[in-house]
Amino acid sequence: MRKEYLIGVIVVVLIVIAAGAYYYYTLPKPTEEETTAPPPTDVETLIIAMDTSDAVSMDPARAYEFSSCFVINQIYDKLVDFELPDLSTVKPEIAESWEYSENGTVWIFHIRHGIKFANGDPLTADAVVYSLRRVIQLGQTASWVLTQFVSSPDQIQKVDDYTVKIVLDKPVAPSFFLTTLTFTTTAIVNPNVVEAHAKNGDMGSEWMTDHSAGSGPFILEKWERESEIVLVANPNYWKEGLPKVKKIIVKHVPEPTDQLLLISKGDVDVATGLTPDQIAQLKGREDIKIVSTPRQHIVYLGMNVKVEPLGNEKVRLAIKYAIDYDGIIKMLKGSAMKWQTIIPYTVPGALNSTPFSKDVEKAKQLLAEAGYPNGFEITLTTPPVYPYADIASKIKADLEEIGIQVKIVQMTAAEMYEKYRKQGLEIVLAGWGCDYPDPDNNAKAFGDYRVHQLAWRNCWYDDHAADLAEAAGLEFDTKKRLEMYKELQEYILYHGPYAVLYQEVAQEAVRSWVKNYLPDPSFFLQDLSKVYKEIPSKASTGCILPLNYILSSLTVFIIANVALLYVAEYLRRASYHLVN
Amino acid sequence: MDLKTYILRRIILMIFVVWGVLTLTFIISHMIPADPIGAILGPQAPPELVEKIRHEWGLDKPLYQQYIDYIINFLKGDLGKSIRTNKPVSYDLMKFFPATIELATFSLIIAIIIGIPIGIISGVKKDTMIDHISRLFALSGVSTPVFWLGLVLLYIFYYMLGILPGPGRLDSSISAPPRITGLLLIDSLVTGRFDAFTNALLHLVMPSFVLGFYSAASIARITRASLLEVLSKDYIRTARSKGLKERIVIFRHALRNALIPTVTVIGLTYGSLLEGAVLTETIFAWPGLGRYSSQACLYMDFMAVMGSVLLIALIYSIANLIVDIAYAFLDPRIRYG
Repeated sequence: MRKEYLIGVIVVVLIVIAAGAYYYYTLPKPTEEETTAPPPTDVETLIIAMDTSDAVSMDPARAYEFSSCFVINQIYDKLVDFELPDLSTVKPEIAESWEYSENGTVWIFHIRHGIKFANGDPLTADAVVYSLRRVIQLGQTASWVLTQFVSSPDQIQKVDDYTVKIVLDKPVAPSFFLTTLTFTTTAIVNPNVVEAHAKNGDMGSEWMTDHSAGSGPFILEKWERESEIVLVANPNYWKEGLPKVKKIIVKHVPEPTDQLLLISKGDVDVATGLTPDQIAQLKGREDIKIVSTPRQHIVYLGMNVKVEPLGNEKVRLAIKYAIDYDGIIKMLKGSAMKWQTIIPYTVPGALNSTPFSKDVEKAKQLLAEAGYPNGFEITLTTPPVYPYADIASKIKADLEEIGIQVKIVQMTAAEMYEKYRKQGLEIVLAGWGCDYPDPDNNAKAFGDYRVHQLAWRNCWYDDHAADLAEAAGLEFDTKKRLEMYKELQEYILYHGPYAVLYQEVAQEAVRSWVKNYLPDPSFFLQDLSKVYKEIPSKASTGCILPLNYILSSLTVFIIANVALLYVAEYLRRASYHLVN
Repeated sequence: MDLKTYILRRIILMIFVVWGVLTLTFIISHMIPADPIGAILGPQAPPELVEKIRHEWGLDKPLYQQYIDYIINFLKGDLGKSIRTNKPVSYDLMKFFPATIELATFSLIIAIIIGIPIGIISGVKKDTMIDHISRLFALSGVSTPVFWLGLVLLYIFYYMLGILPGPGRLDSSISAPPRITGLLLIDSLVTGRFDAFTNALLHLVMPSFVLGFYSAASIARITRASLLEVLSKDYIRTARSKGLKERIVIFRHALRNALIPTVTVIGLTYGSLLEGAVLTETIFAWPGLGRYSSQACLYMDFMAVMGSVLLIALIYSIANLIVDIAYAFLDPRIRYG
């Protein structure tokens, strides 16, 4: 029996070697053409790998998450827009021009003629009035972007078929109001389509969750949750020659390693969710470009002033001097940049000032001056996700160097924000993104406790900061306004309850055959209508099943069969032996 | 008591099980100090809005009122609406469950194909090299982390060799067949879409192997153990002394009795495969129940959590029932009464 066993093994090994050798010699040798191989996917289809778990709804009046706002910007038009990468000048879109009254409360928008919705209906002032009123009436997640200026639907009126009047509650800086109109909440929907699907007075919101009724370059064909979002070109799109691709597939790929495999192989054209390590791995490849931009998202340490001794400004300053900012940024391998003020880089008025770096002696001295030479104990709360958990450990180590004992508490975002909103945390490690690239957004959140956002959650009732943030929001003179924000940032830098750790940097991998793809510093300004795929000149389409595909499957098939046969034969013999 | 009465009694018991599960899930999910509205709205949302939306979803009502409402709606066949997807939970489950059914069924088939022969071989050839190797193989099945195995398989068969497709249920280039049952294989066959059928089948290979390999281990172990036990019985000695061929002794006399515990394990394995496998589904971007329920938990989407748990409880109860009934057919000695 032992002999037969041996022979069997030898036979299998020989077959494997023979098959392998045959396979190797018949492999088509790489040629010039192959190095410039065409995309394996359709050139008319752009495929993007993204984790779309966060998306709740594709209704502009409801959407507030990264992936849904990304999609909504492809299927709807807004009154005005930014054109990446420029985030300082608001450009006309549906509205070709606008004017405002002297005190800035009455706005007139002139609607562009000849725009059609995807179904062919003309886009007129009625649609604009309906869409904006709908946002206020539904009062959903992101409605505050509009209702902070316009509290009643009646304040939005049609003047004639191509003119809309919006009356604001109170005067605000014109650039501030215009900038907020670039957010996807104010996207213009087709009232006929939406109303046709309304039920129980929801203004079509349930239907709009996974359907579109817009005039943007693409139409939402389908959204299979946890699977893919498919957009097709809008044949009635009003911009000449756009969109350039016929179809966009946003493939839901939650696992970064999968995204890496897919982009390396060319089965997706863009990978949006790679880790810094994976980005480093792809750098230097000719067929893949890495595009990056600072995101309008900062990560900060919030210190609750109500909790002793964080109420003492010197203690907070000591903490700011104890943190190893450069170490944290190094840890994040290119996905973070040094930034310490509350308004992120690329937002107008952002102050580039980074006075803090790790200085243990100074921090200890400040702590002693504050009356805590031996430190104290404090709790740091953070969500248990990358990179927050890692940063928390780093900060714990940094603060322990100056005698502050840190207890790290990890809780899910749902649980943490519940407590944070009730002012129930001591030190929190969290992130904050801008909803629109206007300094008011962060200035009020971090500076004005009256808006019940971050200043309030950290019990920092500072009237100077609050007044300044409020006044800057009302300032008409843009230059003067931006100066006021700089003053506010400087003030918060030293007196505020925050240690801004860094600003995030978005890094995406894009196949080289994709043209015009620009990274988006926000999460709702990406415009894919100009993006296209270019076929390399020497491309050959090749046969659908390449030779090595057939051969390798054949080899595996043969090996598996031989192995199976051998096992069967062995079993037969074994049972025979058992009987005898 | 005959089989019919037995089944009826079990179904009545099942109602209590489901009710118990519902109540327990309700209490646990609503006691956690987390805020689903806050999770959905994100850190930026002003508090007034959080309150408004909370009121809209009825989450500001007293707990007992929410419980009563839920039970009443449940009896009407309404599982509520998911806060996250804004769709009825029953609609969501109908959408996500078929992907899991497909994956679970194929995984189970692979688990049986791998598990039972290994169990038999190592049982028959106890303490030989082949026994040790098969047991090692089975052991590596349970102890290999699924995310690791999944990624390695993807790397080899998708990225390097290119013989199997990447993550997902279908290639991007292939349009899904019209939805009839939600089971891609059946839908594509019914509508004559053979391209989609082959593609969906190929997409199933790796994820179901990963899950099947994992489940095969328990099947192999239990088959081996019970086969060994049966082989030491007197009637096997009798059969052998009659001069029957060993093959007949094993397959006709021993295996039929030895497979009874295996059937239990297979039934329960199928039950647990049907509740979805979060890690495998994440790695293979598989839109199944595991992803749905885990996302629901992360967002504290109460209705969706309860709906998923309810479905899982039902699957388990039914799987158990089927296992018990299968006993009667496999083992003539077992009678319910």
